Amino acid sequence: MPREDRDTGKGKSRSVVVETVSRLMVPFIQLFALYVIIHGAGGPGGGFQGGVIFASSFVLYVIAFGIVKAGNRFPEHANIALFSTGVYLYAGVGLLCVICSLGAAQYLNYGFIPLTHHFEENRALGMDLVEIGIGITVMAVITSIFFNLVWKREEIEKGED
Amino acid sequence: MKSLSVAALAFIIVLGVLFVYVAEDIPDFGDPNSAPNRYVKLFDTDAAGLVDELDNGIIPDSLNAKIEEIGLPLPSEVAKLKEGEWEAVIVPEELHYAPKEQKYYFIEKKGDELWVYRYALIKRFVEEGHHETEVPNMVTYILADYRGYDTLGETTVIFTAGVAVLLLLRRTGKRPE
Repeated sequence: MPREDRDTGKGKSRSVVVETVSRLMVPFIQLFALYVIIHGAGGPGGGFQGGVIFASSFVLYVIAFGIVKAGNRFPEHANIALFSTGVYLYAGVGLLCVICSLGAAQYLNYGFIPLTHHFEENRALGMDLVEIGIGITVMAVITSIFFNLVWKREEIEKGED
Repeated sequence: MKSLSVAALAFIIVLGVLFVYVAEDIPDFGDPNSAPNRYVKLFDTDAAGLVDELDNGIIPDSLNAKIEEIGLPLPSEVAKLKEGEWEAVIVPEELHYAPKEQKYYFIEKKGDELWVYRYALIKRFVEEGHHETEVPNMVTYILADYRGYDTLGETTVIFTAGVAVLLLLRRTGKRPE
């Protein structure tokens, strides 16, 4: 049964079916995104793709529930913090390599991070950390662009009333 | 608040020093001794009688036999770089593109021996990558490991794009009720 839109109060109808299906789908999309990010080393995937899939789950949430509810769920200040967290994670792994290589200045040579006893496996794990960093940044940026566009539209529509 | 800004200034100075230190580590572009351009040695052989053939642009049969034994493609031309150094190239037989020679082997005279190298970019990325990084996905290990600097830059580009959109579209007033 169509309900009145709580966001703008302009009588745009929302469907129960869309809301229910979205509520069910969002966790699975996010799980798939995490799978793509972590699986980047073993198969197709990686930080860029996984980040975009994660952001698409928020896009679906906005389409189904409106921007106000989505904005409460995923506040803007957390989003802005995540912006730089990914880049800092990436650069921080590189800095860790410089520290652990003890003066050899091997920036982004993940083999020197003492995670395991094997140089090659350290490189694989360092790559995973870097992919997570890329994923966080891409997710936050795409989400922020979409949220800001929707908010801008709502502001313009409100101004026209 | 003042101590915070002093700490931030110190942090930025440390970061700047770190990046200068790191930038010193990056090899110059086109440096033949930089890691991606370095050659990987394949085998060595006796130089007797082979130098003249190489100087005349002929690949000796004994070298061809050894390369074939390893299972690598045979070079089609050899060019002299300078005294005692040659470059063996493969000119691909392509119909629709202007064939551009591919650098494959590098031959160097060391004393009485000829050392045959393989140009390392193909060798490392395609053949040694799985062995060196324990990651089966070629795209991932090239993107995140061998070209790590590049990907850090790409991530920064996306970050900058996000900040630019944020500055342009950021809500000026309050969120719509």
